[in-house]
Amino acid sequence: MQFGIFTVGDVTPDPTTGRTPSEHERIKAMVAIAQKAEEVGLDVFATGEHHNPPFVPSSPTTMLGWIAARTENLILSTSTTLITTNDPVKIAEDFAMLQHLADGRMDLMMGRGNTGPVYPWFGKDIRQGINLAVENYALLYRLWREDVVTWEGKFRTPLQSFTSTPRPLDGVPPFVWHGSIRSPEIAEQAAYYGDGFFHNNIFWPADHTKQMIELYRSRYAHYGHGTPEQAIVGLGGQVFMRRNSQDAVREFRPYFDNAPVYGHGPSLEDFTQQTPLTVGTPEQVIEKTLSFRDYAGDYQRQLFLVDHAGLPLKTVLEQIDMLGEEVVPVLREEFAKRRAAGVPEAPTHAARVAAAAATAVGADADKEVSAS
Amino acid sequence: MRLVVVSAGLSVPSSTRLLGDRLAAAVVGRAPTGAPAEVEVVELRDLAVEIAHHLTTGFPGPALGAALSAVADADGLIVVTPVFSASYSGLFKSFFDVLDRDALAGKPVLVAATGGSARHSLVLEHAMRPLFAYLRAVVVPTAVYAASEDWGAEGLAERIDRAAGELFALVPAGGPDGSGDEGGSGGSGAGRRVVAGAEYGTDTAPYIAPVPAPAPAAVPAPAPVPATRRADAVRVGGFDVVPFADQLAALRPR
Repeated sequence: MQFGIFTVGDVTPDPTTGRTPSEHERIKAMVAIAQKAEEVGLDVFATGEHHNPPFVPSSPTTMLGWIAARTENLILSTSTTLITTNDPVKIAEDFAMLQHLADGRMDLMMGRGNTGPVYPWFGKDIRQGINLAVENYALLYRLWREDVVTWEGKFRTPLQSFTSTPRPLDGVPPFVWHGSIRSPEIAEQAAYYGDGFFHNNIFWPADHTKQMIELYRSRYAHYGHGTPEQAIVGLGGQVFMRRNSQDAVREFRPYFDNAPVYGHGPSLEDFTQQTPLTVGTPEQVIEKTLSFRDYAGDYQRQLFLVDHAGLPLKTVLEQIDMLGEEVVPVLREEFAKRRAAGVPEAPTHAARVAAAAATAVGADADKEVSAS
Repeated sequence: MRLVVVSAGLSVPSSTRLLGDRLAAAVVGRAPTGAPAEVEVVELRDLAVEIAHHLTTGFPGPALGAALSAVADADGLIVVTPVFSASYSGLFKSFFDVLDRDALAGKPVLVAATGGSARHSLVLEHAMRPLFAYLRAVVVPTAVYAASEDWGAEGLAERIDRAAGELFALVPAGGPDGSGDEGGSGGSGAGRRVVAGAEYGTDTAPYIAPVPAPAPAAVPAPAPVPATRRADAVRVGGFDVVPFADQLAALRPR
């Protein structure tokens, strides 16, 4: 099981001081957060892609390349990469380049984005959102797997004998997660390809998340990739911790109350009860996170949101320390104990290279048999 | 037959709720004893905070979720709003704004409103009917408006009865002999399920005078209108999914 953090990269005033960080400060804070994640032994750092204020991370591969150069073990990912408005050719090349520079320590998560206006900024039509996700990914999938691609589609000019460069490291394409909150088409897409499915359940009640994951698992088996239990599932989470539960609630409340997206809405108490948000002690975070398994089944990746709503960097780094030192070691052990036999680990580059080699050996053996 | 009343009345007691109860009783009175109507009342007043939160968070709280499901699963709807600033109230509109946009497709709906003056009665035709036409509901011809003065005048009972007859004729379990789909829980007498707000039932609601059940109006029942669903979709869990290969094939140039 992999644990990590995912950041949206919002530039939000700290409601307790009124101070707003500069974009430069926020970008530097994000990379400091990634380095801290590596330092405390987390597995994954994922950054969002946004093209509108108050968000700063418009260029994930640039940021992840910087982080790759300064880390040794961290898996670098996105949350999400816009498969709708980015040219699939550019995604293929950017992330293959990152894969080489990071020695395979990367994967990515596809999403459609949550801002309508972003479509025309990149010359696309929002009414085609799902169709763009379908066609663009189908092309991206081929660009990473076929050296020479001739292709014709609806949303971009045809490709004639095109080779995307660099070719994927060790001939193994980056692993892809498909992120969706509410579109069954995307769960279907992830299942069709045998890719991972990530549900960012941090704003959603468990019964909804459960339904989406069940859909993906059922279709994953339908397409012959394995049993429903073997499908590759990731979940979001959102935590704020202090030694004492009351201190956590008191300190986090102004950030919660003024947060982008859900601020000025439900109470902290309602939201904690209805969604995966946990505000309290590390023990409470452990308990609640373990309960995700009750509705999602055995899953492979857990990402936490810890750095939003204007929380100061110092506080965020303290949260990551607690995750790394107290929460994740227990979760690793407990999830491992509970995991059913036959449920795979989260895919890594090394494991995928080994699997590809095994398949190739099998194919060679077949050839020898047929030749003899 | 599952009938749901959506009332946007704010005061307690509320004349809007009263009108909703009168209309529901008039429909219930037509149901044959073998297939009694089950009535649920959704009081938007009790859901006001959850409706506002749904608008900002994108998901419903538990009580609102139950109310939205009740409306989506109803065989027929009675919707009643007070008139605010020459239209339905914002709370009333917000409830239908957070309802799934296909939830009312093909569903029989009776629209009604209350107001201080009869001069607002065209709210029914200029605001309510277009809203439910947009939602692809089947709105019955008679819409019922009750001004303050109507409660002490003749004529309201007749309008209620005519509208109730039109709605009854359109619901799946309706019709002159009560034949049609099995609706509601059945067997347990006139059902009383309360989604939000005070308990409703023909034996406890103080407002309801027994209404004789005349022959239903001769409105032909329309063919059921299915919600938007692609022919090649497969049903998995609660979702309609178009198989991926079909989605992709639809995009390929000819």
